[in-house]
Amino acid sequence: MAEDRLGHATTCEDHITPIVNHDGTGASQEVRPAEKRLSAGLPLRQAMKPPLAEPKTYDITEKFTKACSALEVGQLVKDEYFTLFESIGALEIMDPKMDSGFLQPGETLEDAYDTLAPILPEELISILDQLLCHEIAWHTGYPLSQTLFTSVYIDKLLWPEPKTFEQAQFYRGEISDDRRPGLLLEVLRAYCLALVKCCDFTIARITSRDYFEEEDFCTHTYNRVLLVQTPMDVFQRELDAAIERLEDHSEMDIEASLRGALIARLKFRKRFLSALDIDFPIDYIRHCWEQVSRKLPTISTTHQLGKVVPESFSFKIQRRLASTVPPRPIVELEFKDAFEKLQQLCIDCDEATRFVDIEPDPLEYQSFLWAFASRTPTPLPYSRAYLASLLFQESSLNIPLIDLRSLVLPCSPVLDPTNWALSPPRNPMLPKPPRLQLALFIDEFVERAGQCYLDLWTALGQNRCRLRRMLTHVVTGWDQLQMDAGIVDEDIMRVVTEMGIREQVLEYPLTTWVYHKKLWMIEKVVLLGFEQDIYLHDEFAGMYLFLSSVTGRRRDLLTTIKAHFDDRKRMFLSQNTPEALTNAQETDDGTRYISSLLHDASGISALSSALSKFYTKLNYLNLLPRPTRPFSTEDLRYELRMKPFLTLTPPEVYPFADFAAQVQPYAPPFFDSPPPSFSEALRTPESWLEIEDSVKRAKEEFSAVKKLGAKAAKSDSVAISWVKDVQGVLASCVALGVAVAGVKAAVEEGEEGRELGIRFEIPGIGIGKRYAEGWVVGKVVKS
Amino acid sequence: MSEKTAEASKDELQYVQYQAEKEEQYLPAIRQLISKDLSEPYSIYVYRYFLYQWGDLCYMALDAEGNLIGVVVCKLEPHRSGTYRGYIAMLAVRETHRGKGIATKLVCMAIDAMAERNADEIVLETEVTNTASLKLYERLGFLRSKRLHRYYLNGNTAFRLVLYLKEGTALKRPEGMGQLMDQMDQMDQYGGMGRLCRSLSEGTESL
Ligand SMILES: CC(C)(COP(=O)(O)OP(=O)(O)OC[C@H]1O[C@@H](n2cnc3c(N)ncnc32)[C@H](O)[C@@H]1OP(=O)(O)O)[C@@H](O)C(=O)NCCC(=O)NCCS
Repeated sequence: MAEDRLGHATTCEDHITPIVNHDGTGASQEVRPAEKRLSAGLPLRQAMKPPLAEPKTYDITEKFTKACSALEVGQLVKDEYFTLFESIGALEIMDPKMDSGFLQPGETLEDAYDTLAPILPEELISILDQLLCHEIAWHTGYPLSQTLFTSVYIDKLLWPEPKTFEQAQFYRGEISDDRRPGLLLEVLRAYCLALVKCCDFTIARITSRDYFEEEDFCTHTYNRVLLVQTPMDVFQRELDAAIERLEDHSEMDIEASLRGALIARLKFRKRFLSALDIDFPIDYIRHCWEQVSRKLPTISTTHQLGKVVPESFSFKIQRRLASTVPPRPIVELEFKDAFEKLQQLCIDCDEATRFVDIEPDPLEYQSFLWAFASRTPTPLPYSRAYLASLLFQESSLNIPLIDLRSLVLPCSPVLDPTNWALSPPRNPMLPKPPRLQLALFIDEFVERAGQCYLDLWTALGQNRCRLRRMLTHVVTGWDQLQMDAGIVDEDIMRVVTEMGIREQVLEYPLTTWVYHKKLWMIEKVVLLGFEQDIYLHDEFAGMYLFLSSVTGRRRDLLTTIKAHFDDRKRMFLSQNTPEALTNAQETDDGTRYISSLLHDASGISALSSALSKFYTKLNYLNLLPRPTRPFSTEDLRYELRMKPFLTLTPPEVYPFADFAAQVQPYAPPFFDSPPPSFSEALRTPESWLEIEDSVKRAKEEFSAVKKLGAKAAKSDSVAISWVKDVQGVLASCVALGVAVAGVKAAVEEGEEGRELGIRFEIPGIGIGKRYAEGWVVGKVVKS
Repeated sequence: MSEKTAEASKDELQYVQYQAEKEEQYLPAIRQLISKDLSEPYSIYVYRYFLYQWGDLCYMALDAEGNLIGVVVCKLEPHRSGTYRGYIAMLAVRETHRGKGIATKLVCMAIDAMAERNADEIVLETEVTNTASLKLYERLGFLRSKRLHRYYLNGNTAFRLVLYLKEGTALKRPEGMGQLMDQMDQMDQYGGMGRLCRSLSEGTESL
């Protein structure tokens, strides 16, 4: 285990360093150069780098014996540098559960499976399907040693390492003619070789992007070289030859259905291999996954023709792969599940290819990335890496600039292209022209913001748990950026004042832009927390309160921005020149985006405020479980919850007293029976009205978002899932209205001081019981 | 708490602190109890790693015959983030004795001991499907701070649970380091047993 991890890289930069493990094993020595990529400066998990020096051997027997004689039997020695990590990686030799080399009495080291023994067509079908299951299991995160490398055939092909492609056979050296593999074994070989190449491509793709070794995916190849040097067409040729021989009825008499099933599998493999090819030309990728998908149904319908050959997979091969980890079970992924995952992989990758055709706008990209990360089932590491490599392909797009223009600088003199055409005065002592100064300020800022932007995009490509946690780091980065933006803004405001065009520019545009993005990310972090079941039920009131406050700020920013857009438009219209009219039109178009954002932020703020107030009531009504928590206090828990946001400027976190005043308005809080002040308040219509109003407002705002449509929200490329999301939030509003009415009725009907006669059920995550995973709306149940 | 002061009627259990001198007596039983719920055993070094350094943070429940019924194993040391962090590494109760509050009692003793020794916070990981364990810790005041995708060797996902014991823990930074460490603290590395952890409920109810 320890070696496993030590020998292993996390990011591609690490991966290309040659790695030598303590036991001399290591990742494949031939590692392809990393693709050219933009790297994100994110705190990804660091790989531990083992020393690279050649191991030297010393005989310490004598010294050791001598040293030992100074100790009592059983006395424990631990040096300071012996870590938990090492202790966990340690094995006890001769313990059968830890020592993979241990043989039970009578047990043989290897299985006696003969890879040259003839197989039946139905056996071949089954072997191919089993290999596919293992390949997919590997895709889901299990190591090769517990999946594909348990195949005796794959083992024979790759070990001992073939010097030439021709040597990659199910045997080595000379064999007698009667042992020569027949057609079916040749078919199996062609398939296996292509499969191995698929693994090579998969590793190359995933390691070219940011991912987490062993968490997302295991790249360890246990010194097996996955035919890295053999070019793609060789594998295609082998597959073609195999297909041809199968199609030629004269060579072997095979029942038609079996023959068809085998050909289908080979054709699938061919398509799959070419779709996985890392050098696949981008101009042709649009249909490549669809073509793989088309090959799938036959595999599924003919699967039952197979006849299993369990002996062709062996638990024992692990012994030779990694002697330093305990033996681990072969991963059993059912064909049905593997097949579904494979289908999903194709669908997700196909979806990812749409990326190349979307409008080059970072905000559209952002929507696309968000939608992709939100797909259910969640895309596999390969699909995520696939999209990321399309995203990070070199692009001439000035990412932050376009985003800036869309949000805060519509048809602005600050971004006037002519600013960039000016040249500095020949005499460096003379001041630069103001417009040139503006261009330089923007250039400087855009460059600075680029990294923050990449960090955000990188986070959006991670698994969902990581996304939430990584976003909190990205937020910190943007917080720093906001400070820097403030400085550049001062300069910009000074210059535009000097130029007498201050009223044409939004106050502190860069700060506003950064702040808006930062708040948006904080909101996502909170919503992801709900989605990932991070908050306990009695925390809902507090977390929705925080969300509503953060979004409230964003709404206020957008209100100011909207007013600026309106001003600009009015100004252009008043000028009444053709150019001004074009600008007015352009500003008007831009306003649709701002309106969409504004309605959305208002909706989120209203809905979360309603939920916060509602869950506060439920807390007092004892309708939510509340642990006794003898070791904790409200303020310590609050501190823990707010930890990621405590250092932000301006402060987003309420002081504890303010927070408590809002989520525990009827102090003293949480008695076994609600305090009298609460019971009274409960019966006043106002206290319900406030909630009902917020729900109503939220509904109106989200309806407005929906009406403005996906294009206004810069989500045109993902319009279908965008509409679904908006509908989900709208449905959450409706459900909340119903829940509120239910509780209110129970309170009104019930007598004071009596049980309410209802329970409140909170739907769990990921079971399709929530209209939107981040918006948790429970329901009233009569008890 | 010592063996002598704990009362021992017939059904009642004694809760005792681990004693290093009695390694031979207790360690095999601890190992056996913990590994019962593991798919893959820990080497003896893992147990010794904890017990040798933090034996006084290990508590055991013994029946009248001195059989081990439950155990909790912890550590407490300065964490990279600047906090003095307690970590609950292992907890198990014999299957026949579950649901009687034994684990709760053991964990309470461990928390008390760590609080007494000035811990800022206590953390642990547990599988998202381990209802008994989540319920136990959350009742005591732990909150879920992170969801850890495929945290365990068997591919299962975990929650990181955290209990703050002192105010100001969230803003602690390692001493003597400024901005740089500030950033380091943000690094999302796994502390504790990290991904090496065998899921403690593997092979039991949550499968
Ligand atoms: C987790 C474990 C230590 C709990 O031991 P225990 O002595 O039964 O625990 P307690 O009785 O103190 O408390 C457990 C709580 O969970 C509840 N619980 C137990 N099993 C449960 C289940 N399957 N579903 C829901 N709740 C359950 C108990 O009822 C009790 O709550 P309550 O007092 O409100 O009723 C024990 O189940 C165990 O050894 N499991 C295997 C190892 C393990 O999972 N360790 C923890 C890994 S971090």
